Amino acid sequence: MTAVGRYWVPGLFAALFAYPFLPVAEANRGEQFTILFVYALLALALNVVIGYAGLLHLGIAAFFGIGAYTVGILTVPFFPFQQSFLVAALAAVLVSALVGIAATAPTLRLRGDYFALVTLGFGLITLYAIRNLDAITEGTKGLNPIAAGPLPGVKENVDLSALKVGDDWGARWYKYPYLYFVILSALGGVMLLLRNLERSRLGRAWVALREDELAATCMGLNPARLKLAAVAVGAGLAGLAGAFYALALRTTGNPQAYDFTLSMIMVCCVILGGLGNRPGVLLGTLLLMGFDRIATNLLDNWLQEEFDLGGGAYTKVSGWKLIIFGTVLIVMMRFRPEGLLPEARHARELRESDDQAVDSGQKEK
Amino acid sequence: MAVLSVRKLTMRFGGITAVNGVDLTVEKGQIFSVIGPNGAGKTTVFNAVTGIYEPTEGAVHFEDQPLVKPLKGKTVAFALAVGLIVGALLLLLAVNVEGLWQAAVRDNYKKRDDDFTIGKALGSAASYIGAHSGRALAGFGLGFFFGVAGTLASWRRARHAPDVIAQNGIARTFQNIRLFQAMTVIENVLVGLSRSIATNPLLAALGVGAHKGNERDAERRAAELLAFVGLAGKHNLIAKNLPYGDQRRLEIARALATNPTLLLLDEPAAGMNPSETVELMGLIRRIRDRGVTVMLIEHHMNLVMGISDRIAVLNFGQKIAEGTPGEIASNPKVIEAYLGSEEVS
Amino acid sequence: MFELFAQADATAAGFGQYLLLGLVLGSLYALIALGYTMVYGIIELINFAHGDLFMLGTFFALGAATAVGATTADAGTGTIVLGLALMLVGTPLFCAGLNVATDRAIYKPLRRSPKLTVIVSAIGVSFIFMNLGLFWRGATPVKFPDLIPDTNLLGGAGSVRFTLKDAMVLGVTVPVMIALTVFVKLTPLGKAMRATAQNPTAAVLMGINVDRVIAVTFAIGGALAGVASVVYGLYIKSADYQMGFQNGLYAFTAAVLGGIGNIPGAVLGGLVIGVVGELGKAYLGAKWSEALIFGILIVILLFRPTGLLGARTREKV
Repeated sequence: MTAVGRYWVPGLFAALFAYPFLPVAEANRGEQFTILFVYALLALALNVVIGYAGLLHLGIAAFFGIGAYTVGILTVPFFPFQQSFLVAALAAVLVSALVGIAATAPTLRLRGDYFALVTLGFGLITLYAIRNLDAITEGTKGLNPIAAGPLPGVKENVDLSALKVGDDWGARWYKYPYLYFVILSALGGVMLLLRNLERSRLGRAWVALREDELAATCMGLNPARLKLAAVAVGAGLAGLAGAFYALALRTTGNPQAYDFTLSMIMVCCVILGGLGNRPGVLLGTLLLMGFDRIATNLLDNWLQEEFDLGGGAYTKVSGWKLIIFGTVLIVMMRFRPEGLLPEARHARELRESDDQAVDSGQKEK
Repeated sequence: MAVLSVRKLTMRFGGITAVNGVDLTVEKGQIFSVIGPNGAGKTTVFNAVTGIYEPTEGAVHFEDQPLVKPLKGKTVAFALAVGLIVGALLLLLAVNVEGLWQAAVRDNYKKRDDDFTIGKALGSAASYIGAHSGRALAGFGLGFFFGVAGTLASWRRARHAPDVIAQNGIARTFQNIRLFQAMTVIENVLVGLSRSIATNPLLAALGVGAHKGNERDAERRAAELLAFVGLAGKHNLIAKNLPYGDQRRLEIARALATNPTLLLLDEPAAGMNPSETVELMGLIRRIRDRGVTVMLIEHHMNLVMGISDRIAVLNFGQKIAEGTPGEIASNPKVIEAYLGSEEVS
Repeated sequence: MFELFAQADATAAGFGQYLLLGLVLGSLYALIALGYTMVYGIIELINFAHGDLFMLGTFFALGAATAVGATTADAGTGTIVLGLALMLVGTPLFCAGLNVATDRAIYKPLRRSPKLTVIVSAIGVSFIFMNLGLFWRGATPVKFPDLIPDTNLLGGAGSVRFTLKDAMVLGVTVPVMIALTVFVKLTPLGKAMRATAQNPTAAVLMGINVDRVIAVTFAIGGALAGVASVVYGLYIKSADYQMGFQNGLYAFTAAVLGGIGNIPGAVLGGLVIGVVGELGKAYLGAKWSEALIFGILIVILLFRPTGLLGARTREKV
């Protein structure tokens, strides 16, 4: 592995931590980055389920929504609970993980494609529940305002302008950095946590299960328990991402934010970056979501100013979003199913599936 | 003491009887071989012993205990708990969860200064459910029934599962090698050691506890096992890039890592050259000397006759002979079965 | 939720009306479901793009009708008939061609890849189709003209209405399904299809050109989606680029309910889903009807993955 390969992730984090202090920093960009970190967290969560345990889950957005609404219910002023964000986020992780276990336990027997469908259905039903249970979720209005202070004793608007190095950047920017740093730190923390998990016996057991479930079972590993553990960790982290999402927006927003498209875009991010490889998933999310949330707007503005193309959907880069995502999926599946930054084992597994299919003579029950 | 006793084992697949009323008893410390022509049902016996198949008839006892898990109080309690949870969920749906929320939370907290307590909310919730008691009962009953029935059904399926049997102390290798091909050699063994690594994975993820020490300990044990089977110095190779004989030995090391009482080897010498086979015979003896009882399926007669304490012969799913190597070699039925099969093929 | 009989017209006539509406919609779902089921039967692919193919079909049908001037207010009967004919012939051809082309370009190179790889590709195709639909007709729903009048065929006396449009749906879908059944049961190509579905390896050894069978399957599945899209356009009279996902999932639920890979099963499943959906709308409220259908999908997958009629349990491990 080259030096660049080894150090780009710490380098990236260092650069992102430094960004607010740079003269080029902008408050709007900071807000956009913060949301990007939330999605990166969500993609890492999905990666636990798809990348580590090999379960194609098409409803991760449901857990994102459950996390966001748990925080909403526990913090908004018109409900009596009014907990601090820390408590609410912890509850979001636990509730999402428990829902994940409860919703997955009956589906473990299903084969891969049926499992994908059931998770898809679960995601849709959760979305309908969020949208329709007006008394609890306020329907399309969303729960707001969500209490600000992410850590107890600290207000959201920590004035960092004392640290200013340039001209007036601090004045525009000081509203955001606190949340920016909190969520970026959480992302870094989760990266480390997952790295440790990968290297534990649980991480190895997931790989073994993915490669040969029967052999792993004959080594005394309980496949049901391992899969549930993956879903619990993935759902819990997705709930955490949802909690941060609600915090960053100060509202749970429109239920549409938790729909099937989000689940699929997250699958795109994981696959583009590299199944099972944390830095890859991070890269995939930054590329795709960065493109979707930031680059398309910039490009569209530029195109309109330069060329005045009129109003058709195809004249805007944002109008091509689904084509771009779809093409990414198809091209990756065809030519590089292991992703841009492949995890070594996945690359070997995906390249060798042909001969494995031929010599698996052992019949299963 | 009998480590393994197979009693009147019969396996049927549709109309085909693969194994028919086979009795086998393996004593502690033995090397016990099962031989027979292709299709005689040897691997099927292994699959029934390791829980991959559930016997159609008959039973398998391991260390004088049935292999099938008995129904314990813990399982019943767990099923009841699942039933209560599913029942509560369906109750919420049946009484209309929105209405319940309205009654318990919103109506008790209309203004900012309303004095909201959990007790009050629970009281309102109880009276709301009471007002819809018919539906509540129906929902709860249905959910409770499905929760308990579902849990017991999945327990019933799992009670004969290979992982439970492996945990009890039966490990195996496979006729068609089933290594974790994309993992390294030592990782394969570490998977086998999984259950003896004490650290809770969540604590390990958080970096708390004696995780690092436990891992190093496991790696040391894995290295010992690899040296034991003769794979020292190959720790970081990818499993599928190993030569065939090494893959067989790695499978044995992985199985030994689960710390078995009984090791089942399914054609361990298949594809090995004569010198590798001789090494393998030594290895199997050394495994036995570690206190692990060995049961093996093999076609390689020199190996079988050379190391076995007892041999059972299967043909067309039935046991036609059992005895010491000397007895088997001179048994006319065995000779007929082998010569007969030779003529056919 | 579960406010039973809240909004419902709880009379026998009301029930009959919902039942009838459900059967009509159900026969539409059945047509789409057949495309899913046939493709799944042959290559075990959950074709996520099938619903979006159907959506593109409705746009094509509208385009065809517009092209001959059948959509203008003063169009004569002759023009309308011409428009209808063009829709009914052109749309299935369009959808079949698009489906076969997609298979050739996207799925065929992945025949030996893991199953989930192909499913992810199908999701990608679905995204692209959706985007094409957006370019074609924009984000707002497009209206179809009233090409077929809403005349009640049962006379004014009863309160159950069975209109000319309802008759049109059944008049198109039922013969198509019969034709399909005859084709699969009796023609050599149909037999080759069934053989491939049962055992592709053996089919190759028997001299069946599996590539051709797969192409034909995609063509027929696409054509059925095309027929469904014409009927849908004429019946529902509104289409938008996002409708493929949901209708596709309904149809897929129908296919699974009937037993995936099973042709009569898909028809039965479609009818059941149509009826359940309509009754759900009536008795649980429209907003819970979708959740009800996906609930059924989950329950079926969990407890009877082979579906109502599915006896075929080819489990590929």
